[in-house]
Amino acid sequence: MTTVAVPTDRHFITAWSAVSPYGVTSADYARGILTEDSGAGRAVPVPEGHAAQAACLVPGFEVREVLGRAGTRTMDRATGLAVTAVRELFDEASREERPVPVGTGTALVLGTTLGSAQSQHDFAMASFTGQKPYDVPAQFMPNVLMNCPAAASAIRFGLQGPNTTLAGGRPTGLIALGYARRLLAAGRAERVLVGAVEEYSPSRSWIEHHTRGADESAGPLGEGCALLLVEPGNGIPAGRTALAELLAVDIRVDVDDELASTAESSVRDALAAAGVEPSEVWAAVGGGLTGRVGHVETALLRRLFGAEAATRVDVHDRIGDTAGASAAFQLAALLATARRRPEAHGRPAVITSVDRDGSVACAVVRLLGEAP
Amino acid sequence: MTARRVVLTGIGVLSSIGNGVTEFTRGLREGRCGAGPITRFDSTGFRRQLAHEVHDFTPSAWVRHTPAEQLGRATQFSVAAARMAVSDAGLDPADLRGGPGLVTVGTTDGEADALDRLVEAQANGTEPAGLDPVGVGRLAAHRLALAVVKELRLPRAVPSVLGTACAAGNYAVGDGYDAVRSGEAEWALVGGADALTRRTFAGFHRLGLVASDRCRPFDADREGLLTAEGAGILLLESLDSARARGARVYAELLGYGLNCDAHHPTAPNMDSVAQVMRLALADAGVKPEEVDLVSAHGTGTPTNDVTEIRAVRQVFGDRPPRTVALKSMLGHSMGAASALGAAASALALTHGFIPPTVNHRSTDPECPVDCVPNHAVEADLRVVVNNGLAFGGNNAAVVLGRHEET
Amino acid sequence: MSAITIDETVEAQVRAIVADALELEEELTSTGLFVDEYGADSLAAIELLSTLEKTFGVTIEQDELPKMVNLEAVLEVLSRAAAR
Repeated sequence: MTTVAVPTDRHFITAWSAVSPYGVTSADYARGILTEDSGAGRAVPVPEGHAAQAACLVPGFEVREVLGRAGTRTMDRATGLAVTAVRELFDEASREERPVPVGTGTALVLGTTLGSAQSQHDFAMASFTGQKPYDVPAQFMPNVLMNCPAAASAIRFGLQGPNTTLAGGRPTGLIALGYARRLLAAGRAERVLVGAVEEYSPSRSWIEHHTRGADESAGPLGEGCALLLVEPGNGIPAGRTALAELLAVDIRVDVDDELASTAESSVRDALAAAGVEPSEVWAAVGGGLTGRVGHVETALLRRLFGAEAATRVDVHDRIGDTAGASAAFQLAALLATARRRPEAHGRPAVITSVDRDGSVACAVVRLLGEAP
Repeated sequence: MTARRVVLTGIGVLSSIGNGVTEFTRGLREGRCGAGPITRFDSTGFRRQLAHEVHDFTPSAWVRHTPAEQLGRATQFSVAAARMAVSDAGLDPADLRGGPGLVTVGTTDGEADALDRLVEAQANGTEPAGLDPVGVGRLAAHRLALAVVKELRLPRAVPSVLGTACAAGNYAVGDGYDAVRSGEAEWALVGGADALTRRTFAGFHRLGLVASDRCRPFDADREGLLTAEGAGILLLESLDSARARGARVYAELLGYGLNCDAHHPTAPNMDSVAQVMRLALADAGVKPEEVDLVSAHGTGTPTNDVTEIRAVRQVFGDRPPRTVALKSMLGHSMGAASALGAAASALALTHGFIPPTVNHRSTDPECPVDCVPNHAVEADLRVVVNNGLAFGGNNAAVVLGRHEET
Repeated sequence: MSAITIDETVEAQVRAIVADALELEEELTSTGLFVDEYGADSLAAIELLSTLEKTFGVTIEQDELPKMVNLEAVLEVLSRAAAR
């Protein structure tokens, strides 16, 4: 075997979409994130029997109404949200008259906590309550698999490149971004759609209820799917605007019960890898946990970047706790905010995510307003 | 920056034919079949009664820093197989603490077994508010990788779980390959883990894909698969690193391929399966005629086997290399399957033998390959292709080559 | 000993089950082929088999599945299915 050069390209975020509690379109999300009043009132009542009384739902999201009847009969909510986010990303690109090619060159890397907890719950329940234990709904077998949202998106839009479903807890969106960067660097795709999906369901509400920390002030759950289009610098079609350059991703785990120093090392190492000084950072967007873990993250961002940068982008208070999709929503919110703020262009920004179980992640991007 | 060569220096396995690399190798050589009656859940009322279970597994022997009951069975498997792989590589987990690393674990079901038990409690009248929080705490899929990082104290490792169903093990191996090859990671612990679950058994049962007695891939009378549990974790490092510490090298990873059918939720697509093998061969810089063995996905279902063998013949021509189906011995261990396949491929390269396709009676004329029926054969192997295919059309093929120090 | 006698009621029920599993908008004929004329796939076929089993309390063996190509054939298979 001979040794060959590894393609070392620069990677850019060139489009994004977010199906969110503000609505199905990216414009809805941008409007919601940038509006003056915070989103405390976004939560709507949910039926009895859920773990809480209210949640931040994608308004009026019924899969078949949003996506039509063809090919949607067995789509669950998580799958419907993901497919819609892919559609919105493609619509966004097409509006710029730079459609995203499909086929073998396009990868999809989709983060998730479990796939659809509700589909899995219902399928298993049918085995326990049916006349026979195998009286499970065969047509929903694909839905109990974690890869259902990514696979269904591939089928609907002809995405034949690497199709990866990734679970990483709250930092999933950033871990997926690191994975996507590896795919691009190794030449396994020409472009990657990367993000994460989380559905709201009664089943999820109870899982969250039982796993949140006792010290957390639990806000409403949120749901949706946020996606980014990541392309190598030499692969961006003429006329498409790069929104940000991906400079560094650092992911590590607090294994020695030293969360504060682990989180600080992660952020400092990511900044160093990006060649960025803390004082240059325009915005630092945290993962939004409350309680001790959340406090460690919030305090770190304020100390390193100042209160102004650390509060520049407000996400989780507005859309609720989107768990596995939270980091992807942070990135989309950053891009939505920066687009309206010309002074941000050229400045670096930081996204962090810290989970209850010690996972820590940090991404550094440079915000751009012009083509690179 | 130049690419580094990536080698496999440690193997950890849990399987129905044996735990640990020594027993696993012996099982492959002897052509053991790990099928047996289901004990992991109450199978009363099912029309099929067999599966491949892992036996003699003691969680507390492997899970040391966390109360073992906080981890679901698949996560316990993942931790155990990772510890085995590190030890098999002649390393201590402390040796891996410093450098950046990668822990990527593929799975189909994650902790579905834990969810099954919670759902059963609800079916028996437990209110959701009264569910056992420890049981709920096991559910999140990412814990299969996170628990490895925490148990082995690997603060600079990136933990990912890939949920690409039954090709997930190969997806994970590929991720480790890219990370070590580029230098992003000094080492990678990669593979797959799944525990037997009632939900998946019921699903395959309902789809009519579960065999009544044995899994007989490529056989004219094959009825289907047998669900299984297991784990396969591989330690990958650069060739330079392995040489520097004088490590035994099982095999070199030459390349891999990923693609997606984008066609149907459950039915495989022949052209796409052929394409993923071509992608892997191109990535590895290997010509089809240089391949000595295909470790097939080979589930033993009527559709998979015909589709996959047609794809093999599309890539390799009318005289394809010998093509074996380990699932005849191991059952279908879901996300672990292709990781166990990669482990077996590496062992075949190291020891110069081909593990057989057992339970075989007569080859289906629609699956015309030499599947090395029932008995292992000695063979001078240089290159093996290991396939993993999945519902959702998630395909992954890995190419491994024999390592010779020159 | 068959468990089900095919009469107009049963046929109407089966018709509705097929229409649902195959997501038919158009009229289902007795001899119209599920795969070729109504675009059915393997999952829809299993869903059909499964729903028939549950609705009529019978067991349909897996090897009957390939025979269930149209409504007429489904009724034929159902007529000789044994009780669960």
